[in-house]
Amino acid sequence: MDCKFVPSVCSYCGTGCGVLFEVIDGKINSTLPLKSYPVNQGKLCIKGWNLHEYINSFMRLKTPLIKEKGKFQKATWDEAIDYSAKKFQTIKQEFGPDSIGVLVSAKITNEENYLAQKFTRAVIGTNNVDHCARL
Amino acid sequence: MTITHQVEQLITQNKVDIFLGYKDLDGHLIPHSFTRDNLDELSQLQVGENRYSLEKIATHLTEKHPDIKIGIIARDCNQRALNLLYVWNQLDPENIETVNVNCCPSPLKPHGDCSYLEPKQSGAYKREHGIDFNMDAETLMDSYDNTERFSRWMYEFGKCIKCYGCRNICPVCFCTECSLEHPSLVEPGILPVDIPIFHLVRATHMAGRCIDCGLCEDACPSHIPLRLLYREVNKIVSTIFDYSPGAGMEKSPFNIIGDKVVLEPQPMDTKL
Repeated sequence: MDCKFVPSVCSYCGTGCGVLFEVIDGKINSTLPLKSYPVNQGKLCIKGWNLHEYINSFMRLKTPLIKEKGKFQKATWDEAIDYSAKKFQTIKQEFGPDSIGVLVSAKITNEENYLAQKFTRAVIGTNNVDHCARL
Repeated sequence: MTITHQVEQLITQNKVDIFLGYKDLDGHLIPHSFTRDNLDELSQLQVGENRYSLEKIATHLTEKHPDIKIGIIARDCNQRALNLLYVWNQLDPENIETVNVNCCPSPLKPHGDCSYLEPKQSGAYKREHGIDFNMDAETLMDSYDNTERFSRWMYEFGKCIKCYGCRNICPVCFCTECSLEHPSLVEPGILPVDIPIFHLVRATHMAGRCIDCGLCEDACPSHIPLRLLYREVNKIVSTIFDYSPGAGMEKSPFNIIGDKVVLEPQPMDTKL
């Protein structure tokens, strides 16, 4: 028997509400709002309240997938990164850097978003970078 | 004897397997479980303004491990919730130990630890069109006529974002099937919710259940004065049945499944 309370930040949107995961026997059992968190002050929206559901979902991908002959195959991270890097290089050489665009997300951190735009501008060499929350 | 000592005794004397208390984490007081394996962390045990529904966590633990003995830091509201959960067979009083701490201040207990000590602020627009958090039922009845009260309640309900936070945080909401998720009562995927029915469904279900802890109002992102609403519903219960939820181990008048059948079984009227 093991019961832990793990504070975290909601990964659904860019607001950054504080959540508290109730972890029983190593599995997230429920999500609670973090009472003293300055952003949400102990309140959550319906997505935040159900944050544990997608973590525990059986549909959740746990390994990268590479599409081979029209079918997704499980792959390791090294394989997947190698594969995408090679593909990016070929596309960039053949069609130029502006043929690639990067969409970043509100579900990742500010720092990860920064890295993504840096990667797009400095490594790929295009300004085609946008964000899913720019409605 | 300090709280820490009491908890230490409970754990070392094997009276509880796990103790649910609070500890400070980077300025946030969060629930923490103390067990035999982390006795050294007991020095971090704290009580402050933040309230979490520890008894709800206890019911979750009991679901997974039915025989587990749980200790709980209990304010008055936690104690009322526990009484209600015992009455409704969600927790076994044999398996729960409480360490009582200060709650609302009184002449005997001048010091209180509760987020409710500060009266809530209602904004100017809320005061003009809705219901002031600090207003009691009598003032509300005296100040406005029926139409005005209805429109004010509708203004409050109209702000609902259907987050289900009031239900999720509620220590006494333990039904496996919730009426608020029944597709014929509340249409799924539709916003805004049907008002006032959504809130009134919950309000009727709070009759004989609500222990007036105020966590729902705390968790409501739309500042709906839920506590006032449920208090009024429970006033009816206490007038008719002379029952106040959580006050003791008295069986609830709404406890349909009892030890014996009190109504005579009768054939159903076929003429209807």
